[in-house]
Amino acid sequence: MNVIETLLASAMLAAAPLMLAAIGEAIGQRSGQLNLGVEGVMLLGAFTGFVVVEAGGTVSAGLVAAMIIGMVVGAGFGLATTLLSANQIVLGLGVALAGEGATGYLFRERFGLSQPLLDAGMSRPLHHFAGIPVVGPALFDQRWFVYLAWALVVGIGAWMRYGRPGLILRAAGESPFATEAAGVDVQRVRVIAAIVGQGLVGLGGGALSLVEVGFFTPGMTVGIGFIAIAIAMVGQQRPLRIAGLAIVFGLLRGSGTAIQLTNVDVQTEFLELLPYAGVLVLVVLMGRQVRLPRALGLAYDRESRNA
Amino acid sequence: MKLIRLFRSGLIVGVLLSTAWMPWFAMDDVSAKTEVDKVAIVTPASRSNQGWDQQGVDTLVAIGKDRDIEVEVVENAGNDPITPVLRDLADDDVDLVFCHASGYQSECPEFAQSEGVPVVVIENPDAVLDGLVADIETQAQKVAYLAGVMAAAETKTGKVAIVVSGEPPTWNYMTAGFAQGVHDTNPDVELIYSVIGEAAYDDSPNAKRVTETVIAAGADIVFGMGDGASFGMIQAIREHNAESEDEQAVRFIDVIGDKSDSEAGEFLMTSVLFDYTGAYTTMIDDLEAGTFGSVYTMNLENEGVRLLEPPIEIDPATMEQVEKARQGILDGTITVPTISDAEELETFLDDLAGDQE
Repeated sequence: MNVIETLLASAMLAAAPLMLAAIGEAIGQRSGQLNLGVEGVMLLGAFTGFVVVEAGGTVSAGLVAAMIIGMVVGAGFGLATTLLSANQIVLGLGVALAGEGATGYLFRERFGLSQPLLDAGMSRPLHHFAGIPVVGPALFDQRWFVYLAWALVVGIGAWMRYGRPGLILRAAGESPFATEAAGVDVQRVRVIAAIVGQGLVGLGGGALSLVEVGFFTPGMTVGIGFIAIAIAMVGQQRPLRIAGLAIVFGLLRGSGTAIQLTNVDVQTEFLELLPYAGVLVLVVLMGRQVRLPRALGLAYDRESRNA
Repeated sequence: MKLIRLFRSGLIVGVLLSTAWMPWFAMDDVSAKTEVDKVAIVTPASRSNQGWDQQGVDTLVAIGKDRDIEVEVVENAGNDPITPVLRDLADDDVDLVFCHASGYQSECPEFAQSEGVPVVVIENPDAVLDGLVADIETQAQKVAYLAGVMAAAETKTGKVAIVVSGEPPTWNYMTAGFAQGVHDTNPDVELIYSVIGEAAYDDSPNAKRVTETVIAAGADIVFGMGDGASFGMIQAIREHNAESEDEQAVRFIDVIGDKSDSEAGEFLMTSVLFDYTGAYTTMIDDLEAGTFGSVYTMNLENEGVRLLEPPIEIDPATMEQVEKARQGILDGTITVPTISDAEELETFLDDLAGDQE
């Protein structure tokens, strides 16, 4: 592979954890819940998956474990914000901090001073077509999970947009009281949305440690969780838009190295800033068209009409 | 009333005068210190990163065990102000603090002067103060030069990459030395220089991506300076080698620590090893002797920095070239550049690249 092919392939691979986290957050946002703890949930998923595989489990088992831990956190978040009317912003930030702290602590307790690395063992089912110039490696030389991630994102997006459950989800996020009056248990919808959504976030974290990099280090998300939140909002919960934004982020992140290789004189700090600034620019440009659910971030209390 | 006012004024003056003298009495007479019981080391990142931080901690802990000195380790202190940490250590009655990062080189001397606790800083000789501040200089460029000789002699593709997780003086010294070593051995070898980030010492995922890119650009030897980020470089090389033919295998040159027993051992050519034993021992001895407060330089000559014995097979002809270069450095026939500034380094690398064209 040459540099361009590597850059494109790397962007596609890097997009998988990010778009899973973004679509998971999007599910929660659709139902009216804003979870700022995506960073923490991703770290928990990344750590859990890594521990399972390092202990001898398969990558599939690790990914499932990552998803389960995300679902557990999602259940806690959903129940706290619905039954206990906990502030979503504060709780989400707490989850982010707790996730980072807990995984750092647990990693040291489990592995001490060592840094285990996983063997690269995932198959590449479409490798046969990877010889196509430029795009071949990016599209056909990926590990199987990348294709699964795409299928999940597109499938969930279609479900949210066209399926009846997606319609109920949107109604719960737009007008929870009217939805309740129509016979839908909004609190139940939100809890389920949190479980499913954060399950996907945890899966995204597992993909980061098991599929993309092959190890876990404390704090390894480096802000990707917050990028996922922004992409979920700007992506308007549309799967292809979310995936596209995730790929753009991956490309911008990889382009820093590619630019250095061309010997163009650019400050390192600017290259490091590039992917985050790029997302910021997109948020500003596309943000004007963004229409978020009306009840996003607001606690829903059946007994009052404050949401 | 006049008397009362006079008395009150006198009392205030008396209190002010006595508190002005207090700091002087509070400071231990460190120059006469006879025994070191407790020392501390503050590191910006984890002591398990098998790099900069771990090397300092492990060395001090080993010395502590050997000399029955209690060692307090404060890791992951980051690059933000550490004065609260230093004050806690002062409250714990430590006799000496090793401020193990160039980012602490200003804060620690200030702390030493205000609290009277001796400190050791990195790469700040101007801060040296009798009895209070000592400095460690790491002149690794000469050993990095030898690593460059090895890389230039061993590369099959004619492309060697330098991947760094930042551009602090310590890394820059080694980059310049390595680049010169490569150039002097074979000026046709292309150097690929990549910076992961401004202070990306723990950013292993990004380190992996950057290393994948330089491998894609044709580098078959990677000289990596990463601390925790090194694991990303190692993983990139592992995955590449697992999916490539033997002759396309990429090899790694590390810095600071010895990763022979890790997953990198299969492709680790050598490492520019930092051995703090001599420096730390000397400083503790100096403190006990009342002569604390000097610059200690770790370099090729005193083996404070040395090349790790290759864990993998290296062509004997290459090793002869390396030894010849070592002798050349020691007898002065080979001059290795001493560049710590990032901009100066960039100019230097551009000049070397220009020589190639």
